[in-house]
Amino acid sequence: MHDGSGRIAVQNLTKQFGAVTAVNNLSFTVDPGSVTGFLGPNGAGKTTTLRMLLGLVTPTSGAATINGRPHSQLGNPARVVGAVLENEGFHPKRTARNHLRVYAAAIGVPDQRVDEMLGLVGLAPAADRKAGGFSLGMRQRLALATALLGDPQVLVLDEPSNGLDPEGIAWLRTFLRSFAQQGRTVLVSSHLLSEVEQTIDQVVIVSAGMTRYYGPLEQLRASQQSRVLVQSADANALVTALREAGLNQVEPTPDGRVAVSGATVQQIGDISAKASIAVYGMQEEKADLEQLFFQLTSPQYGAGAPYQQQQQQQQPPPPPGWGGPPQGGFPQSGQQPQQPYQQTPPPGFQQPGQQQGWGGQQ
Amino acid sequence: MGNLIKAEFRKTLTTKSWWGLMIPAVAFAFLFALGWGAITNDLNDFLGSSDAQELAGLLGIQLGELPVGLLALAHGINVGMVFPVIFGVFALAGEYSKKTITTTFLTAPTRVAALSAKMITYILWGAVYGVIIVAFASLATMMTVDNAGMPSAGQWFGVLGGGILATILATLFGIGVGAVWNSVTGATITLTIWMLIVENVLVFVSFGWFEIRWLGGVLPNGTLNGIVGAIGAEAFGAAGVSVPGELDENLQWLLQYSAGAPGAFSWWAAALIFFAWTMLFFVGGWASNQRRDIT
Repeated sequence: MHDGSGRIAVQNLTKQFGAVTAVNNLSFTVDPGSVTGFLGPNGAGKTTTLRMLLGLVTPTSGAATINGRPHSQLGNPARVVGAVLENEGFHPKRTARNHLRVYAAAIGVPDQRVDEMLGLVGLAPAADRKAGGFSLGMRQRLALATALLGDPQVLVLDEPSNGLDPEGIAWLRTFLRSFAQQGRTVLVSSHLLSEVEQTIDQVVIVSAGMTRYYGPLEQLRASQQSRVLVQSADANALVTALREAGLNQVEPTPDGRVAVSGATVQQIGDISAKASIAVYGMQEEKADLEQLFFQLTSPQYGAGAPYQQQQQQQQPPPPPGWGGPPQGGFPQSGQQPQQPYQQTPPPGFQQPGQQQGWGGQQ
Repeated sequence: MGNLIKAEFRKTLTTKSWWGLMIPAVAFAFLFALGWGAITNDLNDFLGSSDAQELAGLLGIQLGELPVGLLALAHGINVGMVFPVIFGVFALAGEYSKKTITTTFLTAPTRVAALSAKMITYILWGAVYGVIIVAFASLATMMTVDNAGMPSAGQWFGVLGGGILATILATLFGIGVGAVWNSVTGATITLTIWMLIVENVLVFVSFGWFEIRWLGGVLPNGTLNGIVGAIGAEAFGAAGVSVPGELDENLQWLLQYSAGAPGAFSWWAAALIFFAWTMLFFVGGWASNQRRDIT
C-alpha cells in the first residue's frame, strides 16, 4: 500500500510518442502543504507528465509516484488523488448530478457527497442539467467536483483556469490555498506564470520536455538580477570609463544608452562624474518573474540575453481577478524575434504606463 | 468490485442507449416472429398435405405437427440480437469517444478492475436483453402459430436458455469489437452491415455456387444465430442429430436456413464457435486497453 505521505515524486521520467520525445528525463518532487506550479509553454510535456503520474499514459522510462506508489497500486486511487484534466470527458446527455453519482459509486462514497460537491463548486443550481450544455467554466467546476468526490489527499490540476471567469479564478486560488493549508498536496499546471504566481509556493518549470527550474518561487524571485540603464552624453566614453573602473558587465544598447549590471546607481553616477560625462538619466530595471520564465523556457533567451528592453522599472502585479491573456497574444518561444533586445515589447506584452493587465479589458 | 459494478449500472441507466436499443430489439423480434409465425403455419399445412411423407417417415414424426413455431422464435430472436451487439459496442468504445474513460480509469483501482466490472455489468445487461427479446418473440409466436406447430415446453425453455446465452455473448462480442476498433460509429455500422447483409450474402453465395454448406456454421453471425436457430433445425432433424436414412444435404441446408441457422452443426457447437469469436475480440480489446495511452 501507499505510504500516505502526500508526496509526488517524478524520477527520470521519459515518454516518447513514436519519434517525438514529449518528456525527457524529468525529475521533481512535490511536497504536501504547498501549492506547486507546474509551468511551461504549450507543448512542453506538462499534460503528458501529469497523465503519466495518473497512470493514464505509460512512461517509456522512469517513474512517477504518489505516496511512493504508481497510480495502479494506490488501492482506491480516487481517495488518494483527484485530478482535473484538460478535455475532461462528460457524457453530454448525462446530468451533472448523475455524472457525479456514477463516480461516487465507483469510489464508494455516499451519494450525499455528490450534492455537497455540487454545492462546493457552485453547480447546485445546474445539478440536473446535462453536461453537454455546460460552458467551459462549468465543465471545469464539474471536473473539480469529480476530483474532490473521494476527499483526496493530493490534487492535480491541468490548466484549471481555462474558461473560468475572474471570480472563478479568484475562488479557485482561495480554494487551492486552503486545500494545501490542510496539509494536502496541490500540483497545478499552467502555461502562464502570472496566472498562478499568486497561488503557488513552489514551482517546476519545464520546457521542451526538460526541467528548467525546480524550487521555491521565492528563490526564483531572489535570483532576479537588476541592471541600470544610463542615458548619457557619450555612450562610448561612458562604457570605456565604466570598464576602466572595473565594471565588466557593461554594454551599449541599440537606443544609445548603456546597460550596466552589478553596479548601483550611485557607483555609476560617481564614475561618470569622475570621467566628466554628463548623465541625463538612470533607470534601475528588474527583470520580473514572467521574464525569468521566458528566459527559462525559450532557448534563444536562455544564454545570451537576460533582459528584454523594458522602459518601466517594474511591472505592477496583475490586478486581482485578472482574467487571462487574450488568446494568441502571448509571445511563444517560436514566435520570438531573434534579436535579444527589442525596441518594442512583443504583442500582448504589457506596455509601460498603461493601467491595464494582460487581460486587456477591465 | 461491487462499487465499480454499481457505477457501471448507473452509467448505463443514466443515458438513453439501453432503452433506445431495447425498443428496436423488441420491435424487430416481435415483428419478425409475427411474420415467420404466419408463414410457418402455411409450411405446416403444406407438409401435412403433400407427398413429403418420406421425410416424416425418416424423422418418425407426424407431419403437419412439426414445431414450426421454433422457426418464428429463432428468426425473431436472431434479428433482435443485433441490438445487444450495438449496446455492447457503446460500453467501451462509447467511453473513449466521450472521453469518460479517463475518469473511469482514475476512479478504479486498476484497468483490469474497471474492465472486469464492465464485463460483469454487460453480462447482466445481455441477460436482460435476452429475456425481453425471447419474451416478445414468444408472444408473437403464440399470437400467430397454430397449436399444431407450437414447440413443446422443453423446446421453449431451450430457446429461452439459448436466447439468453446468445444475447450475453452478443453483448460481449460488441464490447470486444468496439474495444479493438475503438470507434462507436465504425464498429456499429460495420457490424450491422456485416450481420444483416454481408455474411448472409457470403453464406448464400457459397452455398449456391460452391456447394459450401458449413460457412454459416463458423462465421460470427451464423454461429450467433445458430445457437437458437439450431434448436429448431434439430427438431426437424436438420442439425445435430444423425437422421436415419440421411436427409438430402441440400434439403437439410434449406431446412437449417429456414430455421435461421444455415450450416449450423448443433446449438452447442454454434455456441462454442461464437464464444471463440467473442473471446477473440474481447481478449484483443482487453489487451489493447491495458496498455493504451489515454491522452
